[in-house]
Amino acid sequence: MGKDGTHARSAPDLRVQLGPLSLKNPVLTASGTFGYGQEFSDFLDLARLGAVVVKGISLEPRPGNPPPRIAETPAGMLNAIGLENVGVERFVAEKLPYLRKRNATVVVNILGNSEEEYAALAERLEDEEGIAALEVNISCPNVKEGGIAFGTDPRMAARVTEAVRRKTTRPLITKLSPNVTDIALIARAVEDAGTDIISCINTVSGMAVDVFSRRPKLANILGGLSGPAIKPVALRCVYQVVQAVSCPVIGIGGIQTALDALEFLLVGASAVQVGTASLVRPTSAVEILDGLERFLRHQGLASVREYIGTLDTSCRFPLAEETCAGDE
Amino acid sequence: MPKTQEKARLLETRRVADDTHRIVLYAPRITATARPGQFVMVRIASEGADPLLNRPFSFHRIHKDDGLFEILFRVVGRGTWLLSQRKEGSSLDVIGPLGNAFPMPEAQEEIVALAAGGIGIAPMVELGYRLADWAREKDSRQVFLFYGARTASELVPLGKLERRGIRASFSTDDGSRGSCGTVVDLMDQSVRESGLLPQRLYACGPLAMQAAVAAWAHEKDVRATMSLESVMACGIGACLGCALPAAHPDDSSRARHVHVCKEGPVFDSRKILWEKMEPTPVRPLTFVCS
Ligand SMILES: Cc1cc2nc3c(=O)[nH]c(=O)nc-3n(C[C@H](O)[C@H](O)[C@H](O)COP(=O)(O)OP(=O)(O)OC[C@H]3O[C@@H](n4cnc5c(N)ncnc54)[C@H](O)[C@@H]3O)c2cc1C
Ligand SMILES: Cc1cc2nc3c(=O)[nH]c(=O)nc-3n(C[C@H](O)[C@H](O)[C@H](O)COP(=O)(O)O)c2cc1C
Ligand code: FES
Repeated sequence: MGKDGTHARSAPDLRVQLGPLSLKNPVLTASGTFGYGQEFSDFLDLARLGAVVVKGISLEPRPGNPPPRIAETPAGMLNAIGLENVGVERFVAEKLPYLRKRNATVVVNILGNSEEEYAALAERLEDEEGIAALEVNISCPNVKEGGIAFGTDPRMAARVTEAVRRKTTRPLITKLSPNVTDIALIARAVEDAGTDIISCINTVSGMAVDVFSRRPKLANILGGLSGPAIKPVALRCVYQVVQAVSCPVIGIGGIQTALDALEFLLVGASAVQVGTASLVRPTSAVEILDGLERFLRHQGLASVREYIGTLDTSCRFPLAEETCAGDE
Repeated sequence: MPKTQEKARLLETRRVADDTHRIVLYAPRITATARPGQFVMVRIASEGADPLLNRPFSFHRIHKDDGLFEILFRVVGRGTWLLSQRKEGSSLDVIGPLGNAFPMPEAQEEIVALAAGGIGIAPMVELGYRLADWAREKDSRQVFLFYGARTASELVPLGKLERRGIRASFSTDDGSRGSCGTVVDLMDQSVRESGLLPQRLYACGPLAMQAAVAAWAHEKDVRATMSLESVMACGIGACLGCALPAAHPDDSSRARHVHVCKEGPVFDSRKILWEKMEPTPVRPLTFVCS
């Protein structure tokens, strides 16, 4: 039954609540794969999306890494963009007004080389209108002196989160890297440091080489893997983080279809972000949204919230306790 | 111009030279606003994620009235090989039109030249037809085409283009057709024999050829307009993957990046830092098509 007594035959309720952040639906775009939104306006209505997460913004503009920056791999791609972006001032002056005009729900992804830079960014954005939340990228593996250090050390991850927390009253999302030994440890650290929401995963560190030229395929040598290839890793990370913390989690990694998105909701993510899929098919995010709605109708569910976190992990045929508990 | 995602129907596919194919696609919405120099992103996989990324191809011919455009491509890897195997009647997801177009010559320009190396001929043909029409408007206008390849069997037949009044000459590395040498040798020879130095050059080809053409043009103070390549993921300006090193507009010592899919693929050659460009590795085809 719906909230006003009507039956589930009416459109399923897609709204989700992530701590202080209310979203009209659980399908967001992933930072760095959706530009500043405007690039996609010929293909879809930005206002339909749960949120548009923009390309990572730093205090100063960044030129990014030398090319080649992209290499295709089986069912995935490596990127080493190097966090090229227009800088916070141009973002506020040129990009944000467009997103406001289109009634998009905006999440601003931020990055820096020091706690002070993250804090200064949060402070600079605090009074700008039309920002629903901040997402702190502590995990980008591309910039040698940047992101990597914060995301792989629980104390540093907590310190960045705290630094941003002190400067913003907005809902705060901390985005985790999968390139760590124990993601649950980092998740607990940033939750304790005051993040409202955790998103994961960022790209998986990887490499590709050319056997004929004997050169790395990326000028940066190492890059971040994304796309369908990383989905099982991402799902595992989201599952472990959901078990470890009590704050809401946003699932990211290899989501191409509505069924992929549902896998993340099933293990307990309250929302998802669509990344590489948008690069290949610009309409991916809205198609996933439509597919989600179809699925809920098909399953006779009145709300997406009835589906989130309903994974049944009970052991059906226990031979010995260990067989079920093990991970293979 | 709005960008469109369209299911295109493959009407015709034909091998036109060594490892080189031409396909005709019915995609009326994309064709409606397409201009020479622009490109499309083609989804190669009919389903699934192999290959994951779309592949960029220039408009080779644009037939507005019929809602058709043509792509001319060379098999260089798995994606282009799979595309060459696609059957007539099948459909392909295509995004376009993308990027900027070749500018037409300016009012004072009367002698223009096209320089194409290898598969770089692809975007030059539609441009050639437009320039042939442009040249017919005024007697003093002339269009040259310098087209080079490794060997005669790699040269793509130019159809009616030559009959439209374009002065075409050819070069091959092995001398099997036209003069033996490079496109730049051809350009030197043409200037010597005709006494006509073009005021504008349009060029597309492998990096080494384009860099040589750019150097030639700079030395002679000829304006060179180039169609460039870079590895792409999205083609719509979202991923920032297609960066190339460019000269800073105010300070030539400071490098910056331009994005081929957004600010290009057509650039003024003086904007590009040629010495910082990384050549794309070539993979022997025996290791590709199996
Ligand atoms: C704007 C633009 C217009 C183009 N127009 C044409 C054209 O009209 N005809 C034509 O034959 N080719 C054209 N190309 C090149 C064409 O896109 C590549 O040859 C093709 O992507 C190779 O795919 P593959 O799977 O066969 O090769 P792969 O096995 O993927 O790689 C072979 C080589 O192609 C390069 N390459 C791979 N993927 C891409 C990509 N997404 N973008 C650019 N280069 C890539 C690689 O660096 C590698 O050196 C164009 C490229 C650009 C950027
Ligand atoms: C080209 C590219 C650029 C990216 N840039 C950023 C970025 O600026 N900030 C960030 O937090 N994540 C960035 N990411 C990571 C994505 O947001 C996402 O976490 C990752 O790609 C996994 O999701 P996917 O498999 O759906 O792409 C980038 C990914 C790609 C492919
Ligand atoms: S290919 Fe993605 S920005 Fe150019």
